[in-house]
Amino acid sequence: MEVNFQIYHYWCSECAMKGVSVKKENVNGKKWFRQTSLYLLVAAVLLILLIASVLISITFGNADISVKEVYQVVFYELFHVKGLEEYGTGAVHDVVWLIRFPRAVLAVAVGMGLAVCGAVMQAVVKNSLADPYVLGISSGATLGATLAIMLGIGTMFGSNSVGIMAFFGALAASFLVLFISNIGGRPGAAKLILAGMAVSAVCSAFSSFVLYIANDKGASQSVTYWSMGSLAGAKWENVAVILPVILIGCLLFWTQYRNLNLMLYGDETAITLGTDLQNVRMCYMLLVSVIVGFAVYAAGMIGFVGLIIPHAVRLIFGTDHRRLIPLCALCGAIFLIWCDVLCRVILENSEMPIGILVSLVGAPCFIYLMVRKSHGFGGAE
Amino acid sequence: MEIRTEHTSLSYGAARILKDISVETRSGEFVGIIGPNGSGKSTLLKCIYRVLKPDGGCIWLGDQELHEMKVRTSARKVAVVAQHNYYNFEFSVREVVMMGRAPHKKMLEKDGAKDFQIVEDALRTVRMYEFADRSFSTLSGGEQQRVILARALAQQTPCLILDEPTNHLDITHQLQLMELVRGLKVTVLSAIHDLNIAAMYCDRLYILKDGEIVGSGTPEELLTPETIRRVYQVEAETVRDKNGRLHILFTEGAGES
Repeated sequence: MEVNFQIYHYWCSECAMKGVSVKKENVNGKKWFRQTSLYLLVAAVLLILLIASVLISITFGNADISVKEVYQVVFYELFHVKGLEEYGTGAVHDVVWLIRFPRAVLAVAVGMGLAVCGAVMQAVVKNSLADPYVLGISSGATLGATLAIMLGIGTMFGSNSVGIMAFFGALAASFLVLFISNIGGRPGAAKLILAGMAVSAVCSAFSSFVLYIANDKGASQSVTYWSMGSLAGAKWENVAVILPVILIGCLLFWTQYRNLNLMLYGDETAITLGTDLQNVRMCYMLLVSVIVGFAVYAAGMIGFVGLIIPHAVRLIFGTDHRRLIPLCALCGAIFLIWCDVLCRVILENSEMPIGILVSLVGAPCFIYLMVRKSHGFGGAE
Repeated sequence: MEIRTEHTSLSYGAARILKDISVETRSGEFVGIIGPNGSGKSTLLKCIYRVLKPDGGCIWLGDQELHEMKVRTSARKVAVVAQHNYYNFEFSVREVVMMGRAPHKKMLEKDGAKDFQIVEDALRTVRMYEFADRSFSTLSGGEQQRVILARALAQQTPCLILDEPTNHLDITHQLQLMELVRGLKVTVLSAIHDLNIAAMYCDRLYILKDGEIVGSGTPEELLTPETIRRVYQVEAETVRDKNGRLHILFTEGAGES
């Protein structure tokens, strides 16, 4: 049942006779090889850069701790080296090991998760303007947080009730979107976006209503602050759960690169290529909801990372998700680490919400890439 | 492998788009479906390549019924070159053609050396190998269509469905593409706009009008001035060139009546 390549053999012999195309073939093969090795090199460099960023970022902060002290603490905690026991306790140890280090790791997890989910959502709804929050997750989370802050709902969850309520709000909103888009026939990409917008509008309306009714200036301020995002709440016990969840989620998405590519060709083409994307799409959105839910739980709303990182990577390395997903994960993590560092050092004795900084730093970088490459939706050349 | 539809029908609400269609493509045959715009050609093909679900009747691929097969299985038997292939995101030509290997892949299976070889062969067959690393969206309409054909070839299926494949091509590429397809020795079912192209390449033709089959036979039998007048409301003459091939000349456009 193999296709007869008779004609191909004919062309080949023709090419061989001309001798011209054969030369071009070599050039082609080389170019492809060069791109692949470039990708591997970049991935390796980014991985090293990521580890370096974590280690360097913990030397920044308001507390005046020398670089040497920082690494002595880290060495002690990682390897329990003899002779450094004095760094196992005390204020310096606590700042470095209990505040700065988990914070850097959280930045890695959240940046990675948001960037990968952004790339996935752009494929799932087949729209380059999508971000991880497109399914109403952002307004669902905000509503959850508002309810927790203003009305004290969810206090039974303990100290991080705001985060937990935001997590549930995000999940509830995205499930609602999935449910609505499944009513009455196949949910296409356009239907998902519209359902997402509708649910967003309802959730925002409820949040505004609660804010208006409660009329509590202090609490309104903390809702606003929460909605701008912060990594300051990082604790080892949170990070120990969030990092594995997000890491596994991203790895799962990496294995799905072929389906993600197929999504961009559209449902019809996907069917002729042997995959019905219906169920696949639902699974991906559930996984995105969980990952983004965890990110929201730990860090509030950090917009823009999920939009610009996938675009920036695509502009340089093309649309193939086999490369896009890991590169997004690495770039997103590195980007968020340094944004967080800037947040900590830019204002004296206080911190800037990371959401503001991400937009401030990210947008110009993104515009630069966009203008330089002259077109906006990726492609290597 | 043969493609057969038995009493296939499809309605959108009250509008019956396909009425009791039975067509058959025997193994290795090149069968064309002709008919005016809106006659249901694409709809019928979409039923066969599973984008639409018919309300009634059966569709057979070989001796298996279509809707009892997995989508993956049918994608190993039928490849499709559809009309519009516009992509919002950019892929390289090689990546587009590589997607033709998707139905042969398990979930975590990587593209192997064999797949790269198949992709290169397919690109050479459609004479697009030099474009392998170009971005798909920078190609002309005709080049894109050839790349999509290469993707269908990379699927290595015994059957090929074409939906007006020569739509945006100039005459050189129209003939080139059709020659190519005919040279593949696979079962082909194609909707064709241009009656002369249909006459040149098809073994048999079906005429579809208002969702019904109104004629079938070889191009010689079917493409007569009377039938063309009945189906398209235009006057035509048929002539034979020096090779004895059939050509259709249109002498008068559709009248007011």
